[in-house]
Amino acid sequence: MDTKSRQVRLSALGIVALSLFLALFVRLWFLQGIDRQKFEVASASNRLRVIHEEGPRGRILDRNGKVIVDNRTSRVVALDREPLRKMDDDERNAHFEELARTMTELGRPTKVALIQKRYDDKRYAPQEYVPIVEDVTEEVEIHLSERAERFPGVVVETRSVRSYPYGSLAGQVLGYVGEINEKELVAKGGTLPAGVTTTDPPETTTTTPGVPPKPYQPGDLIGKSGVERSYEDYLRAVPGSRTIEVNAKGDLIDVVKRETPRAGDDVWLSIDIDLQAEAERLLAAKIDSLRGRTDKTGARFNAPQGSVVIQEPTTGQILAMASYPPFDPSSTVNGISSELWAQLNDSANGQPLYNWALQGMYAPGSTFKPFTAFAAMSSGLLPTGNESYPDNGVYKLKACKGTKCEFRNAGGTPHGRVNVPRSLTVSSDVYYYWIGEQFWVGRDRFGDTPIQDAAAKFGIGSPTGIRLPGENSGRLPTPAARKEAYEANPGKFATGDWRTGDNIITSIGQGDVLVTPLQLVDAYATLANGGTRYRPQIVSKVTRIKDAALPPGQEGNFDVVTTVEPEALGKVDMTPQQHGQIVSGLVGVTQSGEGTAAASWRASPTAWPMAGKTGTAQVRGKADTALFAGWGPTGPGAVPQYAISVVVPEAGFGGDVAAPLAFRILQPLSHGQLTPACTVVDRSACDMAALAANQASQSDVGSGGPG
Amino acid sequence: MTRTLTPSGDRFRSTDLTAPWRHVDTVLLGVVVLIVVTGTAMVYSATRNLAGGSGYMVRQGLFVVLGAALMVGISLIDYRRIADWWQVIYGLSLIGMAGIFTPLGAVVNGTKGWYRFGPFSLQPAEFAKLGVILAVAAYLSQSDRVDLRRLAVALGLFGVPTVMTLLQPDLGSALVFIVIALGMLVVGGVQMRHLLVLVALGLVAVLGILNSGTLDQYQKDRLTSFVTPDGQSYNVSQAQQAIGSGGLTGYGFTKGPQTRGGYVPEQETDFIFTVAGEELGFVGAGALVVLLGLMVWRVWRNAQLAGDTLGTLICVGIMSMMLFHIFENIGMTLGIMPVTGIPLPFVSYGGSSMMTSFAAVGLVQSVHMHRYA
Repeated sequence: MDTKSRQVRLSALGIVALSLFLALFVRLWFLQGIDRQKFEVASASNRLRVIHEEGPRGRILDRNGKVIVDNRTSRVVALDREPLRKMDDDERNAHFEELARTMTELGRPTKVALIQKRYDDKRYAPQEYVPIVEDVTEEVEIHLSERAERFPGVVVETRSVRSYPYGSLAGQVLGYVGEINEKELVAKGGTLPAGVTTTDPPETTTTTPGVPPKPYQPGDLIGKSGVERSYEDYLRAVPGSRTIEVNAKGDLIDVVKRETPRAGDDVWLSIDIDLQAEAERLLAAKIDSLRGRTDKTGARFNAPQGSVVIQEPTTGQILAMASYPPFDPSSTVNGISSELWAQLNDSANGQPLYNWALQGMYAPGSTFKPFTAFAAMSSGLLPTGNESYPDNGVYKLKACKGTKCEFRNAGGTPHGRVNVPRSLTVSSDVYYYWIGEQFWVGRDRFGDTPIQDAAAKFGIGSPTGIRLPGENSGRLPTPAARKEAYEANPGKFATGDWRTGDNIITSIGQGDVLVTPLQLVDAYATLANGGTRYRPQIVSKVTRIKDAALPPGQEGNFDVVTTVEPEALGKVDMTPQQHGQIVSGLVGVTQSGEGTAAASWRASPTAWPMAGKTGTAQVRGKADTALFAGWGPTGPGAVPQYAISVVVPEAGFGGDVAAPLAFRILQPLSHGQLTPACTVVDRSACDMAALAANQASQSDVGSGGPG
Repeated sequence: MTRTLTPSGDRFRSTDLTAPWRHVDTVLLGVVVLIVVTGTAMVYSATRNLAGGSGYMVRQGLFVVLGAALMVGISLIDYRRIADWWQVIYGLSLIGMAGIFTPLGAVVNGTKGWYRFGPFSLQPAEFAKLGVILAVAAYLSQSDRVDLRRLAVALGLFGVPTVMTLLQPDLGSALVFIVIALGMLVVGGVQMRHLLVLVALGLVAVLGILNSGTLDQYQKDRLTSFVTPDGQSYNVSQAQQAIGSGGLTGYGFTKGPQTRGGYVPEQETDFIFTVAGEELGFVGAGALVVLLGLMVWRVWRNAQLAGDTLGTLICVGIMSMMLFHIFENIGMTLGIMPVTGIPLPFVSYGGSSMMTSFAAVGLVQSVHMHRYA
């Protein structure tokens, strides 16, 4: 082969080489110059993960800045599912079994099924950790981290959970938090993870105007009841995020970007925790002392529940709201098991989760009489209130014959001549029967519902509008509603007609009349302040802490986000004459010798005279509901500071049970000698106080009669 | 006075112009140094986050030193003296490769192509490539004409190691032998018609192998995945993400996220180019391609300038080997060539490849330096 043709072939080889290098160049430019962005995105989604970070919820303080709901750190054993997905089923199962066994050995019994269920839970985003066992000890964390190679995908992370320095105090008012469910997530504008659907209609959005939206995602905590729920938009932290870079094995390499979560705002209740403690302690002691006893008819005092509400009549702020049996929200911080849920909602157990002060509905009995009296005076039936009627213990309907036409005072006691003030003081039923019949007989002049209309002005029969979930509306029966109910369901009622007898029992707060303890206190607060009906407020202000290291309630350590101003919902058109007649009758209840609560007031007198009304409501087949509603101080020139309602069902006479309880709660308060509430870590002072309360409850002085 | 003024002049006049050290291809040397420096940096970046990362650098440094010594040593020996021993060298190469099939051989990535000595492993096929190049160059340069008999012998010389690598099975190395054969036969003087018949036979053989049961499915998938990008393997897609996201200027040395996270398997060996692509960008990776191109160009030029057919054929064989290694290796990371496990010369981590590359350049230098001898 000659040199020339070899050179030709060599050149050909050179051209081949050159074109191959050109091909590499073109391709390299194609990837890096043209398609760069596409690959950047792919590479980023490969290695970057965004971890959602919850911030601490705002605290809940009492009106004086004492922290009632705080946050603490909880260690949670969780699964990082990334490495687990790379295992085959057998390997993963064995792994889960070992984890369950280890956790059980460490004193936290755990089922493999639970781990498997959490592993499969679609509500968590794929890169998110799923919690397995919450609130483990430091020992568990050390045990697991020392054996990290044996537990791939098992992490111990810390979470912020609620803590309750005062234990169960005000538990139902505070409410509890839990993991957001699908319905709530949709309502809050979050997106459900792929593969999860909800058939429930979304809840009505509860966003607070003026509060920036705080995004949610599955697994986040949300207020489920109480203030935790109604003030969720303030309490929730603005979540942050961590963008982390991981390597091919899923190990963390670097934190690329971090947006720190911003803590939620602190909510100050209108509640005074010391007064709340006093109310709860005395209510519990009272109920304890009642249980197991019977009344004269043999009906058992079961007292399955009870409530005390104290309100400031000039602002509507709730100072104490006690509901028995107590609910301890700290039992829920690690989630509510089905056993706990059943127990919290068991009626044999008094349904501790219920806030009976606003969810319970009871016949008001004689506590309703002031509203009937106001109806009589304002309608012109009894223009002055001084119109008297002879109460001989029994009232006979005018246009009726036979024993069925007789309505008796409780116990048949005759009270003699009574007018509006005295009828309230001695709690004459006959006087109100008389009013009731005249109203019905004269319905052409007074209309069908003068009593109901008057009561409605005080807020009876509709929700008070307190910013707490689950409030009941109570009930004011009317002829029209009776007819409607009958026509809708004729088989259920004997008649759809409203008769004189219905008007008569309505006038004394029996029959179908139902009120919540909250409505009752709000109505009496309205009476106390001369007719302005305020919305009951449970929160006084919302603040944002300045220095997180200092107490959130410390003066100067917070900015006020919003202050809750008194909100007048209505004004009852009451003349001074009408108001004076009712108040003088109610003052007589505690101050006059024949008042139904006079004896118990003298047994534990408040520093100032009180106005009030006892109530003993009959409930078919059960012991009576004991009620008391009133306020103090009262008298010429006095500004009412505290309105109170006490309601204990299946408990006996209002004068025996409810009124003494009311005075005993207010007595130290009126003298400025309130025992400070005890925290769970230091209970000694309260245990002593509870002992004293129990002893005092045994020897309550009552009027000895109903009414 | 005069002596002191022109001492070098005296030496110049007294110096033999054909002395080998005067004809070192300094461009080739410089290019190789630059490639080795870049490559070592890439290996550092690729291994710094691996368990025992510093061990990689220590070993790679050792390979570079040994390789450089080997290059210098070989370049100082006249290539003709080396070629005189071609039968011995060829025989040793075959024995080395055959030894793999004894219990001494170790399996790496499914291929039985290695000897293992403690932390080191040796891939005899790498060295055998040079042995075969020397042997064929020596044999073909014995005569000007390549008749059928000589062609058959040459094919035989290629065929035996090719079949041995296929048995390991190491498809990449087998392809290297075929490409070397092609280059050397073309320049070695094989007649055009013989060549065409050979190419035709080769095509038939490739189709036959693909359709027979000789190859495992994974091998076929590797070979065809670059044609159908949808079915891209994890390796290829991660490699392209790394290179593509590097863009014009790259993320910067040791800053490449894909590299840092170890997303591209074998990023320190066969997929080392992804590190350059991601961290140095088009500017840096392109420059590396240019350097590799310059290296191939210098070898090609030395083939042209060689003093005899033997020198030309040695250079052509080495050029073919380098060209295929570079194009196949980089092309595979760019997704235009099938995935086969062959290293990027002077860049990939690994002793056998590094030493072979240095030895190859040493041979080329020897051809250049001794062309007037």
